[in-house]
Amino acid sequence: MFILLNVRFICLIVLFVLHLIKIKLFMKLNYLFPNKYKKIGWLILIPSAIIGLITLILEFEPNSLDFNVPAIFIDELFGDKHFIGIVNNNVLNEILGILIIISSLLVAFSKEKSEDEYISKIRLESLVWAVYLNYAILLISFLFIFDLSFLWVMIFNMFTILLFFIIRFNWQISKL
Amino acid sequence: MKNSIKVERAKKNITQADLAKLAKVSRQTINAMELGKYVPSTVLALRLAQIFKVEISEIFILEDSDWV
Repeated sequence: MFILLNVRFICLIVLFVLHLIKIKLFMKLNYLFPNKYKKIGWLILIPSAIIGLITLILEFEPNSLDFNVPAIFIDELFGDKHFIGIVNNNVLNEILGILIIISSLLVAFSKEKSEDEYISKIRLESLVWAVYLNYAILLISFLFIFDLSFLWVMIFNMFTILLFFIIRFNWQISKL
Repeated sequence: MKNSIKVERAKKNITQADLAKLAKVSRQTINAMELGKYVPSTVLALRLAQIFKVEISEIFILEDSDWV
């Protein structure tokens, strides 16, 4: 069951990378996905973000998803540190994390129906704005959130740049 | 920078949507340019000049504030 799931994920990632190569090679320097990927992105992003949030809060880790997986750097809680080996890990958060990142990339960087130079300008501005906001929040968190609580900041910070960008960009587009 | 896109459009008697289609941009871009919220690229400015069959400097007029 898991092997099948794993193979599917690897296929998805390979397709994604192939698509990146394709747009780089055949479409003159275009870093955006076709418009249709935006809808696909939303369809994956919304459920996986909701499920991700719920499992994070409830610390839900079903035993059926415990697997021995290869790891590059291992620093066990009561063990020693070493490079490259096998660790037992619940893969649910990895799966959800990958889904959220890929789908928010699709939502953020798919073309609008009429992607012209004005939209590109809004896109760039929104990206700069999102990076500023993200790091402003991170700086404040550095100053006022410590120890294990900071782990929560780090978890959310993995996704917030793209999230802020998506919110700001779509808001600006809807205002037009 | 001022522009006379709206005037030229009125002369030709076409809507923002028509002009957008001719210039191959979105209607919102035309609107933003007419409101002075967006300065088009040179390519788009040249396209507009060709559509209106006028010199580019007849549509886009530089102002003193552009030198600051």
